[in-house]
Amino acid sequence: MATTKSRTLPLTKRGLNFEMFMWMITRLTALAMYGLILIAVIGALIMGARTQMNLADVMRWAFMPNVTHVQDTNVPDLAPWSTPFWKLTASALLLVATAHGVHGLVVICDDYIVSSRGRQIVRWISIAFMLTMMSIGAYLIWTS
Amino acid sequence: MQVTLKIFRYNPEVDKKWHYETYDLDVDEKERILDLLELVKGHHDGTLSFRRSCAHGVCGSDAMRINGRNMLACKTLVRDVGDKITVEPLLGLKVIKDLIVDMEPFFDNYKKVLPYFINESPLPADGKERLQSPEQRARFDETTKCILCAACTTSCPSFWASDDYLGPAALVTAHRFIFDSRDEAASERLHIVSETSGLARCHTVFNCTMACPREIQITKAIGELKMATLTGKVD
Repeated sequence: MATTKSRTLPLTKRGLNFEMFMWMITRLTALAMYGLILIAVIGALIMGARTQMNLADVMRWAFMPNVTHVQDTNVPDLAPWSTPFWKLTASALLLVATAHGVHGLVVICDDYIVSSRGRQIVRWISIAFMLTMMSIGAYLIWTS
Repeated sequence: MQVTLKIFRYNPEVDKKWHYETYDLDVDEKERILDLLELVKGHHDGTLSFRRSCAHGVCGSDAMRINGRNMLACKTLVRDVGDKITVEPLLGLKVIKDLIVDMEPFFDNYKKVLPYFINESPLPADGKERLQSPEQRARFDETTKCILCAACTTSCPSFWASDDYLGPAALVTAHRFIFDSRDEAASERLHIVSETSGLARCHTVFNCTMACPREIQITKAIGELKMATLTGKVD
């Protein structure tokens, strides 16, 4: 008689390594970005983005908490963005977008760099780049 | 009908560089591209080199690029590709001569996924076969159809970039054994396919699915392998 027992491999036996973990993270961060962007767009519309949508204004909305980022715009003072909620939203978007983008960059580099040492170097440079970008972004969000 | 057949030619003993040669042929629209190649070899230029064996879409020997798409020459009719036909070797593998490519990198990757049945457990009490239900057999039926023609792997941009990527055909083979309820090496194979040159290098381009002459849903099979590494479920 055929065996019908369920076959589920334990965590350590299913090949779930760094590559596959990052593959999953890239998908999840993409989904998270959709949610965070939706929240930010709704917030911007509530605060007046419906009538102020030229390029400079959009840049201003995009970098919302940093009032010095784009100065040539008609968007007024963005004090409503300076609450902890919006700073946390902006920080979350920064973290997932950076992780998503940098891993995408690593994947593209893997198409062109085939030696394992070369790939290691690219990975470490990418991680350093990612952490630097995250730190600078978080600093701007929380100190502006 | 009159057909213009343009063929990629390269003889390493004579040519410094590859080139194309064109043949004007009078053929029936129901003839296959393989018939046209045989016609050229038999009546125009006996030095034309290409692989063929069964000529009925089973052995997978005559995969080549026909009008830019990977196809089997023995399954492609003239009427399906028109009267201007360009035939070239598969991409991503070194050309040995004319339409013949070096398949070693392809088979090296194929061997890496342990493409054979592994079960070290004793036979059932009756000493006969290891049974499985029709549902268990159906789970991997799709991926048993692979004929190793390499049409999928050589249509994959990740494989073009680096032939250390296992490629769709090797992953299809891994799928065939990992989801086989009688096989006991699913974990070993999942570790192999989840390495740097494995599943994560599939960018879901779908070229493999479009190229497969057996119409295997290859990208879907690779997706199932990815899910197996995350969930551990190999039912």
